[in-house]
Amino acid sequence: MTSFRLVRAELRKLSTTKMPWAFLAVLVTIAGITAVAVIVGTDADGSKAFISTAADQKSLMAFAYNGLMIAGLFGAIAVAREYGHDTVVPTFLIEPRRHRAVLAQLAAVTLAGGVLGFVGTALTMVAVSVSLTATKFSFMLSAGDVTQLFAASIFAAATGALLGAGIGTLVRNTGGAVAALVVIQFIAPPLAVQLVSEAISWVPGTLANVASGVADDVGMAASLTAMIAWAAVPAIMSIFVAQRRDVV
Amino acid sequence: MITNPGRTSGSQDHRPGVTGLPLEIDHVTKRYDDDVVVADLSFTVKPGRVTGFLGPNGAGKSTTMKILLDLASADHGSATIGGTRYRDLPDPARTVGVVLEPNAFHPGRSGRNHLRILADGGGFPTERADELLSVVGLADAADRRVGAYSMGMRQRLSLAAALLGDPPVLVLDEPGNGLDPQGIRDLRDLLRERAANGDTIFVSSHLLSEVEHLADDVVVLNRGRLVASGSLSELQRQETFVRTPSRANLLKVLQSAGGTVRSLENDALLVRGVSIDAIGNRAHRAGIELHELTPRSGSLEELFIGWTDVSSVDGTSETATEVRSA
Repeated sequence: MTSFRLVRAELRKLSTTKMPWAFLAVLVTIAGITAVAVIVGTDADGSKAFISTAADQKSLMAFAYNGLMIAGLFGAIAVAREYGHDTVVPTFLIEPRRHRAVLAQLAAVTLAGGVLGFVGTALTMVAVSVSLTATKFSFMLSAGDVTQLFAASIFAAATGALLGAGIGTLVRNTGGAVAALVVIQFIAPPLAVQLVSEAISWVPGTLANVASGVADDVGMAASLTAMIAWAAVPAIMSIFVAQRRDVV
Repeated sequence: MITNPGRTSGSQDHRPGVTGLPLEIDHVTKRYDDDVVVADLSFTVKPGRVTGFLGPNGAGKSTTMKILLDLASADHGSATIGGTRYRDLPDPARTVGVVLEPNAFHPGRSGRNHLRILADGGGFPTERADELLSVVGLADAADRRVGAYSMGMRQRLSLAAALLGDPPVLVLDEPGNGLDPQGIRDLRDLLRERAANGDTIFVSSHLLSEVEHLADDVVVLNRGRLVASGSLSELQRQETFVRTPSRANLLKVLQSAGGTVRSLENDALLVRGVSIDAIGNRAHRAGIELHELTPRSGSLEELFIGWTDVSSVDGTSETATEVRSA
């Protein structure tokens, strides 16, 4: 019961500022760019091969990696600003057993990340379906493909949000948390691949694409497990660190 | 207008049989690197009384409150509420109401939503937020962004948050900051009324005249050390005015007796820490002639400056202990 009311409070926190609207605007922008690409974009040979098959369209609409990155930023900013504005203080006064408070925060941000993944995929699919009417190609995805894209995007965005929230709790400064996330998401993976080429199968982009069914570098179960593990490390660290640290 | 929520919401039904709990600070020490912010601090805040927590900026008041509330950890010692650490209280949101500086708000969130979040977390009905907004006179500004609130309005919102669970213990750090005179008066009435009902009220303030009107007891810190504590009225009667033609000799005698002595004009001394009888006896034994020996009631401001000046000169806990009331 305690956990439920704490998660409810955290969800209300997330929904009572303009931040969700800012992220919705980002999702709408991405969907719009995708629509424009469908209408005016071509392959190198001038053809529209990139939307000519169901597999091509599935790749185009695979939002999981975008969702993972965007939800990561959402989670990092949502949690780090709690420390920036000191609004974590009343949270810890209401629930001084901080592991519960931090868990509720991580759960709420993870849920919100899943919603971002769902909305991002829905907007992208709507944008592509509408823009395909301006081409000679129709919407070719099966119900199974659509379901997989939604599920992968929700899952990837939820894990991305969890990763961001963990980093936000550890770093406690919005700029610092975003910078740390950029390093983890954009700088570290290519460096790792340069050092060990096999790492390409385990970087976030590949894992998200495997989940979406547009890559097969690793198995589905391995992909999902790796994404959870990748996000869980900072999240678990954040629970322990928050227990020991002075808040103000 | 700040009113007691008990009067507007039937809070006696809300918290039947609840009385305040003592706050115990027991040999607490807190360091930040090499800087000792709180040094071996011990005192008790009693239920049914308003206790003012005083000290110059940087004296360690806020840190002590944060240690009491488990927002900061002590390097040594313990701080408890009714014998229990804050983190072990079964229902902290219904036990302790808190105002801390600086106020913690998201500037883009409305006052109503700020309270609703706290109501959600504490397990209070959402309507309680609206009720408290009326109690602190913010009903008309409930849907305005907190970033657009004045300092006084933010302080009222903090008070509303502290009263949300109608707790029997209030820990308030500078709650009068930014309030207009009417707001300060309303706050004083509210705190006095709650103390009269048995609640524990622990309030830090730099508004000494306000504390003088409000507090039953005071705890005074300087540089992290206790320099005075006890009943304000007793502390105010603790000084003795002495006039003697042998001021230098008497000053030595009284200092050797452990007193805190300030030289005044016209051969006069102001003595703390030595009883009026002891002053007379020691002067008599030393053959020092006295022309006046009078108990003196000092204003809190005079006492405060004396306590904090003395400690800034001597900086010794020995001096501080001498000033404590019985």
